[in-house]
Amino acid sequence: MLAYIIRRVAYLVPVLFVLTLVVFTFVEMLPGNIIDTLVGNEGVNDPEVRKILEKEYGLDQPVYIRYAKWLFRAVQGDFGMSLVTRRPVAVELLTGIPATVYLAVVGISLSMMIAVPLGTIAAVKRNTPIDYTAQVTSLIGISIPEFWFAILCVLFFSLYLGWLPSSGFANPFVDPWASLKFLILPAAAVGFRQAAYTTRLTRSSMLDEMNKEYVDTARSVGLSEGKVIFKYTLRNAMIPTITISGLQLANLLGGTVVLESIFAWPGIGRAIFEAILQRDYPLVQAGVLVLGCIVVVMNLLVDLTYRLLNPRVKLG
Amino acid sequence: MTELEARKFADLEAIRAPTLGGRLARWRTALANAWHELRKSRTASIGAVMLVLLFGACIATPWITTYDPIKQNYRERLQPPSEKHLLGTDRMGRDIYSRLLWGGRRLVTIAILAVTFGLSLGIPYGVLSGYFGGRVDTIAMRFVDGLLAFPGLLLYLLIVTLAREWKMEGIYNDMVLIFALGFAFMPEVARLSRGSVLVEKQKEYVEASRAVGDGSLAIALRQILPNIISPLIVNATVRLGYVILIVAALSFLGLGTPPPTPDWGSDLAAARDYMETAPLIAAFPGLAICYTVLAFNLFGDGLRDILDPRLAER
Repeated sequence: MLAYIIRRVAYLVPVLFVLTLVVFTFVEMLPGNIIDTLVGNEGVNDPEVRKILEKEYGLDQPVYIRYAKWLFRAVQGDFGMSLVTRRPVAVELLTGIPATVYLAVVGISLSMMIAVPLGTIAAVKRNTPIDYTAQVTSLIGISIPEFWFAILCVLFFSLYLGWLPSSGFANPFVDPWASLKFLILPAAAVGFRQAAYTTRLTRSSMLDEMNKEYVDTARSVGLSEGKVIFKYTLRNAMIPTITISGLQLANLLGGTVVLESIFAWPGIGRAIFEAILQRDYPLVQAGVLVLGCIVVVMNLLVDLTYRLLNPRVKLG
Repeated sequence: MTELEARKFADLEAIRAPTLGGRLARWRTALANAWHELRKSRTASIGAVMLVLLFGACIATPWITTYDPIKQNYRERLQPPSEKHLLGTDRMGRDIYSRLLWGGRRLVTIAILAVTFGLSLGIPYGVLSGYFGGRVDTIAMRFVDGLLAFPGLLLYLLIVTLAREWKMEGIYNDMVLIFALGFAFMPEVARLSRGSVLVEKQKEYVEASRAVGDGSLAIALRQILPNIISPLIVNATVRLGYVILIVAALSFLGLGTPPPTPDWGSDLAAARDYMETAPLIAAFPGLAICYTVLAFNLFGDGLRDILDPRLAER
């Protein structure tokens, strides 16, 4: 197992290398360069001034040296200054992470609370109207674009009924009640789609488990159906469900850009999106890098947990 | 003669006489067989009907639309559905029905091209990697693992931002999207086809064709490929729905093709400002996206059950 962990961690290196390369190339490939922006702002266009500035920003050096320097600083958490707020990019991003994690975790928990019972019932009552309803609903659920679902929720619960605020955020430690009100719609939008996925997953892994021999054994020794399902089948069926939900959580952290911008949720996704709109490219660069790293590392952790929970999986 | 026998007979006839009539007959049997298989799964047949309608609408768009999708008419702004404007008009008085159809045509084309591009990169990659095995396979799959670990949406965000900065519009913007989405699909395809090749290459027919003297490349592409195609079809179908969701999400964020091009995502975003006065405008593009993605998902899901009966029995 230890050898496996070491090998998997070693695989991270090329992935992270590609990630930094992509993010660095992105800024390199933007038309014009930072000097144009600076010179444009000051209204000067003297070649002498350009030369001095280029030297100052290291643009006279070959690209691989600039990459190495950038990487060296990035590893230490120095991503430069935001072009818009003039604050360090790292600070801008760090302030967004808790809100994103908060939303993603609540959303995923919500989806598990809906999906696990629903998927289990669908599997136990296989090929009944309950099963069909669950299947059709979840298929529709994964086909609805989340931003449209979010808009419909706002339309109904905020504009029509006036129960919930349409967007915004409050710190849960300062004002829990207001924070909850702001949280409900975004978390529902995150959870709805996840619930659709998880229901399908729970159903199919429950069916997988229920076909196994130990279930027959448990029944033949006279255990009640409820005990067979809750004590044995469901527990085993949960392994893949939890694993995939972990992977989904990782993807959610990278994919909340849309929902965060709809609900004005001050997370890292919205920070990246606004930076794109305001052409604040150091922030975009660092944001994608940080989110990408989080996703990659989360994926690894989930994978390792899966192997720990399920020792039968071959360590390939 | 039963229906099935008749079909087989027609098949034989078609093989014996490759005339125009024979060819038509062969096509007809192929279609009839396909429909016969489809009927086994209710989801697949519903999905198929929905897809036929969708593709029909996309192909027929120039003839069934009633207005120019980008022509503004300020005298008829924000109108409810009527005989003149089937689904009403948007904030610039443009006919929503016509915009939906043109937008769908573009979106479906992008999705199909992107998925085809991904398949055409991934299949040879996976098949050759699996067929040759050994060190080639290890290195090739490591690369694919690296790509799979990359968070997709973030990559698309960077790419569409670049497209915007380079002022790529219209067809160039679409091409960038197609390449990005197709390339992102490649690792999945490669991994899937490699897995099936590893199974298939142990089978007798491969040995047989090697005994006959076929070369490696010929065996990999002519013998093995046709046998691994079905999981790929299922995967590609579901992927089409996903690609449509992504493209719509990007243009919803304002990072797709700039207006006035008809586009479900950006039309939906624009409709948000009029949600209180004219909620229907926001409903139609959303419904269109749902319909399309659901059609692909239903078809893909049903197809999976048909092609892998082991799963359907559950």
